[in-house]
Amino acid sequence: MSNFLFGRYLPGESWVHQMSPQSKLLLSFYFVIVIFFANNIASYAALLILIMGVIILSGVSISYFLKGIRPLIWLIIFTVLLQILFSSGGKLLWHFGPFSITDQSLINGGFIFIRFLLIIMISTVLTLTTTPLAIADGVQTVLKPLKGFHFPVDTLALMLSIALRFVPTLMDEMETIMNAQRSRGVDFGSGSLKHRVKAAVPLLVPLFTGAINHAENLSTAMEARGFTDSEHRSKYRIYRWQMKDTISWLVFLAVGVLVLGIRKW
Amino acid sequence: MDKAVNFEKVTHTYQVDTPFSQNALENVSFTIQSGSFTAIIGHTGSGKSTLVQHINALLKPTDGTVSVFDRIITPKTTNKNLKQLRKKVGMVFQFPEKQLFEETVIKDIMFGPLNYGATEEEARKSAVNAMKLVGLSANFSDSSPFDLSGGQMRRVAIAGVLAMNPEILILDEPTAGLDPRGHKEIMDLARHLHDHNHMTIILVTHQMDDVVDYASNVVVMDQGKIVKVGPPKEIFSDPKWVYKMQLDLPSSALFAQKMIDTGIKLKTLPLTIDELADQIVQIAGKEGKKDE
Repeated sequence: MSNFLFGRYLPGESWVHQMSPQSKLLLSFYFVIVIFFANNIASYAALLILIMGVIILSGVSISYFLKGIRPLIWLIIFTVLLQILFSSGGKLLWHFGPFSITDQSLINGGFIFIRFLLIIMISTVLTLTTTPLAIADGVQTVLKPLKGFHFPVDTLALMLSIALRFVPTLMDEMETIMNAQRSRGVDFGSGSLKHRVKAAVPLLVPLFTGAINHAENLSTAMEARGFTDSEHRSKYRIYRWQMKDTISWLVFLAVGVLVLGIRKW
Repeated sequence: MDKAVNFEKVTHTYQVDTPFSQNALENVSFTIQSGSFTAIIGHTGSGKSTLVQHINALLKPTDGTVSVFDRIITPKTTNKNLKQLRKKVGMVFQFPEKQLFEETVIKDIMFGPLNYGATEEEARKSAVNAMKLVGLSANFSDSSPFDLSGGQMRRVAIAGVLAMNPEILILDEPTAGLDPRGHKEIMDLARHLHDHNHMTIILVTHQMDDVVDYASNVVVMDQGKIVKVGPPKEIFSDPKWVYKMQLDLPSSALFAQKMIDTGIKLKTLPLTIDELADQIVQIAGKEGKKDE
């Protein structure tokens, strides 16, 4: 669990760290869209090279990065297996009951594997190089146009940043409660399914009680400092579009055009 | 006296092999005798909590060995078969009331014994006993633990640990956030368990007064290392060093220091209120004789 990288922030001063969060957020979306245009080896290779470049620029060691996304491999493999076993078309290679493997489904499975990998890689780079609060700020900036339609962008961003802010706190608390119940003889993560579900009660009840207490304390503290949601709020940190963002976008756009050029139409 | 706990060159690193890697304990060796009352002190982040979590194998050493009675824990120890050890080592965490979850007080206290294989009847018996020990009236048995006051919740949580009849009791800042009366009651409970039930008590604390009032042995930690072990008298004999460790003197010693500053001569630095009183009586006695 401690090696799990997805959704974690790694402090640093790299190129990717210094980009503005809204640009990183949009760039990730754009990259995911481009992924769905790729449909042959050359186009996937172009995207893999691009993402490798981004990882190197982010200053995270590649081996550490790969180790960190390894826990997600099982999810990918499961999806790929479903795809391989249940899709049809092409030359039949093997079949058993409802399952069949064709050359087409193998190729598709391979592509889906790479697609998943690319999406996980770009989103992991995003969260590794951007603090949760910066991501919330980025979302707020990206959604700003919706304000015209009376969409509560600021409230949404506040909710998001509070939720993200409390993830580590609740993780810590979960750890403490698990330890306390372990000392009282609870065995987490072993035994039958029924046993495991039963073991979750002494963990979840205190965790929820704690979360509700946090929420109450936080709202009291916010009100005590005069918080209302209707005010126009200024920001301590302002993320400006920089040269680094422009250059990154140009590179990504170029690769996007390249993918469109070399994909099978 | 037998050894209850023995640390042999224990190192603990959080998140090994990651950029977050951090040494919380470094080459720690020490022994706690069975039946002793040991206080572990040190400033915030010095590794006290990490240290005590090794005693019931919630954490395992990255290097070195921990032995608790005849059970030896090494970096290779698996998570299986730790129940016997954990039954012997009761652990009261900081703000233990956070671990309460059952519908009634008695059920919550019975939770530990039941997990360790006691029958319903045995568990109820030790729960009732534990409630008596912590001074909770039997009337609370069937109330919800969430309806109680903070101090009462803390007692329920401590009773939940005592009901398992541990041989070693670890208290991690058990009185944080309690009023002075609650504080004294919890500390007196620790003394009672030590004196009458012969439990080995390990107390993690920031309260220097509790150290001198209750503990017979003190372990001082700084930056993941044990820097001094000894009786309170020895630990507090050098005030400069105590301050260097970002700790404080017990209040009686602080009072005595102020007396020394104003020119009154004291033979030794008194640590407890009784010692201070004795010295004041002696001085006053002399002064009195002079007047005659």
